[in-house]
Order: sequence, then C-alpha cells, then structure tokens
Amino acid sequence: MEAYQQLFQYTKQFADLSLEEFDILKNFTCIRKFKKKEFLITGGEIEGSVYFISEGLIREFFIKNKRQVTTDIIRAGTIVSSISSFFTGLSSKYYIQAIEPVTAVVISKAALEQLYSRDVKWERFGRMITGHFLLQQEIRILDTIRYSVRERFVNFIESNPDLLERVQHKQLASYLEIEPETFSRLKRFLEKNNGA
Amino acid sequence: MPKSVVLPDDFEKAYKYLNVFMSIPKENLPIMLSYAEWRFYDKREAIINKDAVERHLNIVVRGLVRKFIVVNKVEQTLQLATEGHIIQSEISFFKQEPSLVTLQALEPTLILSIEFDKMEEAFGAIPEAERLGRLLLTRMYIKKQERRYLRASMSVRERFIDYIDKNPHMLQRIPQKYLASYLNIKPETFSRLKRLAMKKN
Repeated sequence: MEAYQQLFQYTKQFADLSLEEFDILKNFTCIRKFKKKEFLITGGEIEGSVYFISEGLIREFFIKNKRQVTTDIIRAGTIVSSISSFFTGLSSKYYIQAIEPVTAVVISKAALEQLYSRDVKWERFGRMITGHFLLQQEIRILDTIRYSVRERFVNFIESNPDLLERVQHKQLASYLEIEPETFSRLKRFLEKNNGA
Repeated sequence: MPKSVVLPDDFEKAYKYLNVFMSIPKENLPIMLSYAEWRFYDKREAIINKDAVERHLNIVVRGLVRKFIVVNKVEQTLQLATEGHIIQSEISFFKQEPSLVTLQALEPTLILSIEFDKMEEAFGAIPEAERLGRLLLTRMYIKKQERRYLRASMSVRERFIDYIDKNPHMLQRIPQKYLASYLNIKPETFSRLKRLAMKKN
C-alpha cells in the first residue's frame, strides 16, 4: 500500500479525518527512504520530526557504558520519533536506527504545528496519539515490573514470533531486560517444547 | 477552619499549575474550572483502589499522592506526586478497565480533578481544551520517559543523588521505604546512601 494511504488508515484509529482534511498533510511532508543500519536520529542531535513507518523495521537504543541498551523495536504501520527531544527541543538521548530498509513519511515539527492550527480535528488527532504513546509507555513500565523474566519472554515471542528471525538476539534480550544467556536458555527451552 | 474548604490560594495555585502547560487568560479560568471538581483526602486514604475503574485525571494542589502496584504481595511505588503534578491510573482511565494500581494520599491532600465524561464535554465546548489536553499528556509522557531513562541508565548511587538533588525536601516528606521503592533501591542501600549524603552536608 502506498505510504500516505497507509498513514490515512492509521489516523482513523485516533481521529475522524476526511480524505480532504488528511490531504493537507501532503503539502507539508515528504517520503524518505533509509538504508539498513542508517540512523533516523543519533544521540546528541535534536529531534525535528516524527516518522510514520510505512515499510521496514526500526530499533531505538541509548548507550550506557559504551554498550547499546535497546529500548524499543518499532514495526511498520506506526509512528516513531525521539519524542522527548522532539517536544522539549533538548538533545536526544536515543538513537533510532533502521534495522531493515525503511520507507517513512517525515512530518516536521513545523508541519505538525501547521496542521494543529488549521483544524481542530488535527489537534484532536495530536491529543489522541499523544495519549496512545503515553499508554504504551505505561504498559511497558508495568509489564516489566509485574511479569517475571520468563513471562516477559513468552509474552513477547507469542505476540512477535517473526522478530526472532528479524532482530539480533542480543538486541531482543536487551529490549526485554533479560540477560543474553537467559534469553538463549529460554529460547532453547521454547524450541524443545514446540518440537515435542 | 474545616479542612475541606477550597481557599483562594488554591485557585491561584491551580491557575499557576495549568499555566505551565499553556497560557490561559485569567478570565477563562472559571469556565475551565466549571468542568472540574475539588476533592479532599485524609492521610492514607485511597483515591482509587486496585480493580476500580479510574474516572478522573488529577492535579495535586496540596499534599502528596503515591501510586503503587502490588507484585507478589510487595507494594512497588511507581510515582510520588506533589503540588502541581498530574497523577491518575492512566491505563484504567484511557481504556475504562479495572485499575492495576492504587493511588493513595500520603498527606492530607487536595486535588483538582476532571471526570472522564466532563473532559469529553469540555473538548466539545472549549476550543483550547484539545490543546491543553494534548500538552498535559505530552508532559506526562516526557516525565514517564525521563524516569524510564534514569532507571535504565544510572547506577543506584547516581539515581539516589540525582533524586535528592532535584527534590531536596522529599527525604523529610516521604517515608523512606516508599522513596527507596520508587527509586528501585534496596532499603538497606538507601539508608546507607542517606547516611553518606548527610555526612557530606
């Protein structure tokens, strides 16, 4: 599906925009492709855009003691940005990297402000999507606290079986806050059980 | 004076706290407040219990509220909200499903609350409400992400020092076990770090 068509479908979750109201967005945005391993933003830069990912796979991480800590893995069909930096104008602590070739609709801060001021429906979209991101964040926080390592692993693999093939295991382990050795052990255990 | 009286100062504070998100002409405050309600809580009283459905978004005007989740019979403190902070059971509020968390007043507390349906009404009636709502959610998001980042990126010692630097009065205000839990520090370690910090000063 064409990127803008996909984004239009995505907005429907949050606001009831007509095709004409949606089309305003095309005047302010562009489509950009990122190669595998290319960065959408690196640590220290100031985030100026949000990206609607139409194709590919994204990883978000920060660096602690020279090691990468994976904080998110983002699929096509959703929005990604170093959001705190985008809102505050402070430099990003996060790196956002394409781990598969990516096609994205780039929506700059100025574009978003334009949309908000033109139509209260867009403002509503902005509120709803911010609420959505807040919720995702809260769910992640509570899940990390209330589930054991094993439960986190199983829940994740059951909802995302394809990511075992698409993402490096050390990155998945980091994302799930599981030691790499424990991750391998859990994976072997899962394979044995599925094979039996 | 009975405790359950909203003082002129409380209105001033509410105005100031809302202005952090968006500048609001003072003459618009009464109409905005007409959608909200003031709620008083005693020390240790629950604002929302686990399994209840959250109906409110709250700003603390006086006092202190703790948000926690019980995991394996242990209370884990998730948020400590004082004057000007926003607090609610977010997931329950947005999805209108039973809350996983409890909100409890740790001091006699006054909060300014907007109820779920009233909020929808306000979005329809007041043009700036959508913007205020978005900016409020943005602030909540940034705070949450900041906390996640600090938790993941800093050592126990760094977390302790960072918190005490930013919130020097909280050591006196909050029972130590809640603060230790909030910072994800073992109580023994917390005591040791506190003694060290006091010696330095």
